[in-house]
Amino acid sequence: MSQDQLPPNQEKDLQGSVFRPSSEEELSDVVDQAFDYRGDVTIELKSGESIVGYVFGRTKTDSRADVGVFPTAKPGQLTIQYADIAAITFSGKDTAYGQSWEAWIQKKKEEGRK
Amino acid sequence: MAVPISQMFTVSSYVIAQKIKRVKRYPLVLMLEPIFRCNLACAGCGKIQYPDHVLDRRLTPEQCWAASDECGAPIVSIPGGEPLIHPEMSEIVRGLVERKKYVYLCTNAILLERKIDEYQPSKYLTFSIHMDGLRNEHDLAVCRDGVYDVAVKAIKTALKKGFRVTTNTTLFDDANTDRVRSFFDEMMDLGVEGMMISPGYSYDKAPDQKSFLKRDRTHELFSRLLSNRKRGWQFNQSPLFLEFLMGKRDYQCTPWGNPTYNVFGWQKPCYLLQDGYVSDFATLLKETDWENYGTGRNEKCKDCMVHCGYEATAVEDTFSSWSGFAGTVKATLFPNAT
Repeated sequence: MSQDQLPPNQEKDLQGSVFRPSSEEELSDVVDQAFDYRGDVTIELKSGESIVGYVFGRTKTDSRADVGVFPTAKPGQLTIQYADIAAITFSGKDTAYGQSWEAWIQKKKEEGRK
Repeated sequence: MAVPISQMFTVSSYVIAQKIKRVKRYPLVLMLEPIFRCNLACAGCGKIQYPDHVLDRRLTPEQCWAASDECGAPIVSIPGGEPLIHPEMSEIVRGLVERKKYVYLCTNAILLERKIDEYQPSKYLTFSIHMDGLRNEHDLAVCRDGVYDVAVKAIKTALKKGFRVTTNTTLFDDANTDRVRSFFDEMMDLGVEGMMISPGYSYDKAPDQKSFLKRDRTHELFSRLLSNRKRGWQFNQSPLFLEFLMGKRDYQCTPWGNPTYNVFGWQKPCYLLQDGYVSDFATLLKETDWENYGTGRNEKCKDCMVHCGYEATAVEDTFSSWSGFAGTVKATLFPNAT
């Protein structure tokens, strides 16, 4: 890994980012990012409805394009069609982002100095 | 001998039956993840980073048994998260044991002494205790002081009560050969049945992104560890897999060998990567692009040498040819032969 390349969990903090895809390609890319994101997102539908939840799956084939979501508001899961998505906001905290390991190592180093 | 004869017979019979039926892709170990919530946040783990409402989800006993029935693998490994947090874990295990599955219940042992009386000793049940090294190394790896001592105490309790106990060790770039070998001595002195070792996988989501082993370093480390092996060390793994770690054998990954089922569904393509989920095992086998994964096929697989992908390859090697079988016998009887 080169010095100026951040590790995957520190590349970018998407929290707060809003994406309004204007093409199928952009939509696919945003959905992939939402799938990879370890936090909740808010999916705004073309109907005006908003769903907050965790994107745990996405399937895109010739015959099928949908997203699997664990909603925060209720148990079970939802399936949302790609075609119904107007926007995705990375509204929840990315639980994998950050430097918790460095903080722990720093703590152990300080203990070692005492 | 680390693994009981009955388990070796069951696995051998199963693999031979697959070969007779000319099954190209068969599962060997079901990786069953009923819960992702954990009571630790280990530096090398990329499994638990989810919002709370996802960590609160869990598989029911019925879902676990159905997955096992659907998959058919003779061995079920239950990692997590921390499985002992699941309030119905003992029931899940009871149902799997009734199905005569060899269950490896993986745990950091923090809750083991509290929960152990919910379980019955059985040749089908092994507590696989997460131990990444001697006290300093283990507590550093799990990012909490005192865990090593709790785990050792729990190991002693479990052994005293008649349970099968193994250890499960993940090694990283900073592993000190002498100390790891001392660790092997300590674990065998405790009386565990056997040890499992593996290089850590470079999870994108793990907190420590600097300590993962590259492939050549893995060969180097495991050669130093496993050459001039002590007779008393028992490894609960295929001897051919250990030779693979040492760089003595070249294997391609068998990702379908250890299929994974969790709250999201059946995970494509393997225990370590998350490229999507399907609702049933048959679809997992049919719709996963298996040719896109493995050494030389995928950037994410480049340095991976983890047992969940390669142990199944080693087992397949044992049963695929007389030379594979002979190699296994030789490696078992003469582990220090060059």
